[in-house]
Amino acid sequence: MTVLEEKIPPATERTTPARPVRRIIPLIALAAVLALLAAAPYLVTVTTILSLEQVAAFAVFAVAANLLIGQAGLVSFGQGVFFGLGAYTVTLGWEHAGLSFWEGFALAPVLGAAAAALIGLVALRARTLYFALITLAFSQLFYQLVEQNTGFTGGANGVFAPVVPAWMLSPVDGYLTLLAIAVAALAVLRWLYKSNFGLLLRASRENRARVQALGTNVYRLYLLAFTVSGAFCSLAGAMFVVYNQGSNAELFDWTTSGQAVLMSVIGGMYTFAGPVVGAFVYQFGHDWLVRFVSDWQLVLGGVLLLVVLLRPDGLAGALRLSSLRNRTRGRR
Amino acid sequence: MNTFVTETVSILTNAAMLFVVAAGLTLVFGALRLINMAHGSIFMVGALAVASLASGLTGGWGFAVALLAAVGLCAALGAGIEVSILRRLHDREPLAQLLATFALVLVIADLAQRVWGTSDRTVATPVAGRFTVGGAVVPEYDLVVVGIAALVALGLWLLLTRTATGWRVRAAVEDPETLAVGGTNLPLLRTGVFALGAGLAGLAGAAIAPLESVGPGLDTQIIVAAFIVTVVGGLGSVAGAALGAVVIATVEGLGTLWVPSYASSAGYLVMILVLAVRPWGLFGTPDR
Repeated sequence: MTVLEEKIPPATERTTPARPVRRIIPLIALAAVLALLAAAPYLVTVTTILSLEQVAAFAVFAVAANLLIGQAGLVSFGQGVFFGLGAYTVTLGWEHAGLSFWEGFALAPVLGAAAAALIGLVALRARTLYFALITLAFSQLFYQLVEQNTGFTGGANGVFAPVVPAWMLSPVDGYLTLLAIAVAALAVLRWLYKSNFGLLLRASRENRARVQALGTNVYRLYLLAFTVSGAFCSLAGAMFVVYNQGSNAELFDWTTSGQAVLMSVIGGMYTFAGPVVGAFVYQFGHDWLVRFVSDWQLVLGGVLLLVVLLRPDGLAGALRLSSLRNRTRGRR
Repeated sequence: MNTFVTETVSILTNAAMLFVVAAGLTLVFGALRLINMAHGSIFMVGALAVASLASGLTGGWGFAVALLAAVGLCAALGAGIEVSILRRLHDREPLAQLLATFALVLVIADLAQRVWGTSDRTVATPVAGRFTVGGAVVPEYDLVVVGIAALVALGLWLLLTRTATGWRVRAAVEDPETLAVGGTNLPLLRTGVFALGAGLAGLAGAAIAPLESVGPGLDTQIIVAAFIVTVVGGLGSVAGAALGAVVIATVEGLGTLWVPSYASSAGYLVMILVLAVRPWGLFGTPDR
């Protein structure tokens, strides 16, 4: 983290409290963005609204994944497990248990948390790169299981059924519902980010041994983070059903998990809002580029490479959105 | 009896290929402490290169030339990647390198589609002979594959334990500063090891081309298999990669025989079990 350390201003500067004006500006900006998003149905085409539906789900997915990736420094290539689980809870609950969409939707984060707690118990025994690989293996394991159990899950074809309530089928209503859910979910995640829990996560990323020495059981802390992340990734998966009108096995694949990593890193994994920026850039970058070229992955890989080489703090860092260091400092 | 022979040969062939891929991955991790997610992409490039060359170069010797050309191409690709990208990230946290190689997976996948198209290709078996053991028919090419893996294993063992270069490769992780002070050109050593790892990926891809259909998607398929093998064996350990390859090939082979619909999940379960008990793998070291 040498790159970031250079940016810490001297101690004297640190003790100055932020001016009230500087606190209000972000709030105004946030209100403006929310107002724009709420008014979007009057401003943009239906195609864009459908893209925004995906962004709503992806933003929750990316921020939840970034709780591990950027905050805790646990690079998980397995968050697709929970995204897929959330989507399948809704569709299979409807198909096999006769659950309504909202019953499945409420069940998704619960199942996501339960699965994450179990998987985390094993996966968190591994450190750094091993953790990345074991989570990737879980992603592929679920993908294979879902694809092979054709009788229960529909196999590679997935489950596409009229599960979404009829009134939400109109893009505008579906979008506004997802937007409301996304805002609520992100508010909870934001609260977690600012809480002592979030602070401890960032502290253990910087120095795990010290946090452990100060009396925090880091393994349990990480397990809690993994469970919370799993719950919200699962919620995001359930949200995705509204856009997708169903669930398919690819949602479990490690490339889905990789998408969360991409959005977090490109958007800026050391900030709260970075992954949200990443979700917007990812979706609209994709929509815009595929009109001209077929090599979307090539561009995506190129952008990721540039970010990693030149701006490890991502677009949010380049735009000088409030950095992680400022946040940590503010709470001292 | 003949099912037993057929199964054993099939498992051995599978293990041989898994070992060559995993050996490259684990060698790079051992010397550079980075996980190359693009290892499978280089494997795919090796397979695709042989697929296009083998149509002109037929027969056993023609295939051997195509194979060597593919290995050379992949080693050069690896050297290029190391010099242009990974070298710049060497002093950063492991995450940066992981992400850079993940970016390369995306880039190489699209570039390979540009060059070789999206359709699957098949490569004619260069050694078409078969012989009978215990009532089972064994293709001679399977033996060639196992032979290649044995040569790679022997070569790596000699390189790492019997040469000064191998000693430096092992020391490059233990104490890079002292090694550099002693006059070793560390960047060159790292580039060399990465190119060797990439060459092994290309070799495995080239050798497997006559056995499987070659096309897009091969990269992600093989990288996950290679991860499982190296992680089960222990990252950084070539002997671990050999053991991991045999374990995973056996589990998957028997799985295909007994529970066909869950065979593909069996490897992941073994990996998860091993990591639950020994998070650093069978032959790995628990320092990370």
